[in-house]
Amino acid sequence: MSGPNEDNNTQLSSHIFGDLLDSIIVDVASECHRIAKLGLDRNLEEEEEEMRLSAQARARVADPSNSSETNTKYVVDIFGQTHPSVATEIFECMNCGRSIAAGRFAPHLEKCMGKGRKARLKVTRSSTAAQNRYSRGSPVSTYSPYSNSTSTNRLSNGTPSVAGEEYSNGTYEEPWNKT
Amino acid sequence: MKHSVNRPPTPDAAEDQGKEPTLQEIINVKLIESGEKERLMELLRERLIDCGWKDEMKALCRAHVKKKGRNNVTVDDLVHLITPKGRASVPDSVKAELLQRIRTFLMSAAL
Repeated sequence: MSGPNEDNNTQLSSHIFGDLLDSIIVDVASECHRIAKLGLDRNLEEEEEEMRLSAQARARVADPSNSSETNTKYVVDIFGQTHPSVATEIFECMNCGRSIAAGRFAPHLEKCMGKGRKARLKVTRSSTAAQNRYSRGSPVSTYSPYSNSTSTNRLSNGTPSVAGEEYSNGTYEEPWNKT
Repeated sequence: MKHSVNRPPTPDAAEDQGKEPTLQEIINVKLIESGEKERLMELLRERLIDCGWKDEMKALCRAHVKKKGRNNVTVDDLVHLITPKGRASVPDSVKAELLQRIRTFLMSAAL
């Protein structure tokens, strides 16, 4: 059973196993080296740096000198930027076409689309009987005035065409909502 | 200076003709040619990952890198760091499985 061959085999096997293990060890070391050099690992140093910065920011926010009187106008966010309390970017209202400031957009839409008295008058004046059938019966329907006003003014894709008869790809088609 | 500068000269063809390939070398060639070495490596790799050995080694490396600073670490450092611990911490079951497979191969490739 046991003989020189057996021992030889065992020794050889161990040697081969050792070789395999060494190769794998080199692979692992190489991989870790790569990660370290490329900074791919969220290194503890970086985490400490970030924790320090976030602690700083928190201190700034909690600082009493930053409160109430200067708060609404000059509050500073985590990047150190200040924003005006009313957003100032300007958009075009898709309903009436006016230029509206972003911060005033919601109240404008309310008036423009249906909540206000003037808007309601716009709805009843310009909607057809068919449109009314689709609306849910409430006088403040938001869909009908929208689709109506855009269909008579311009196509949704913005091509300047006459009465919406021809699309930009050249095919002649009757728009379904043409009155 | 790199070790490779001082490596022994490549043996000439004349010197080589007198030598018989060792059993070791023959077996190695057989292992590689049959593809068994690759299979064994993959098996060992998989088992070492499953049992958490690789994670342990990576943690050792990361600790070393943190201590020395990432720009002062070489692959050699890490290899020397991991080798003793790595060889010692392979689970017995994994080692047994691999040894068994190697032995089987050796017997099937008996000269």
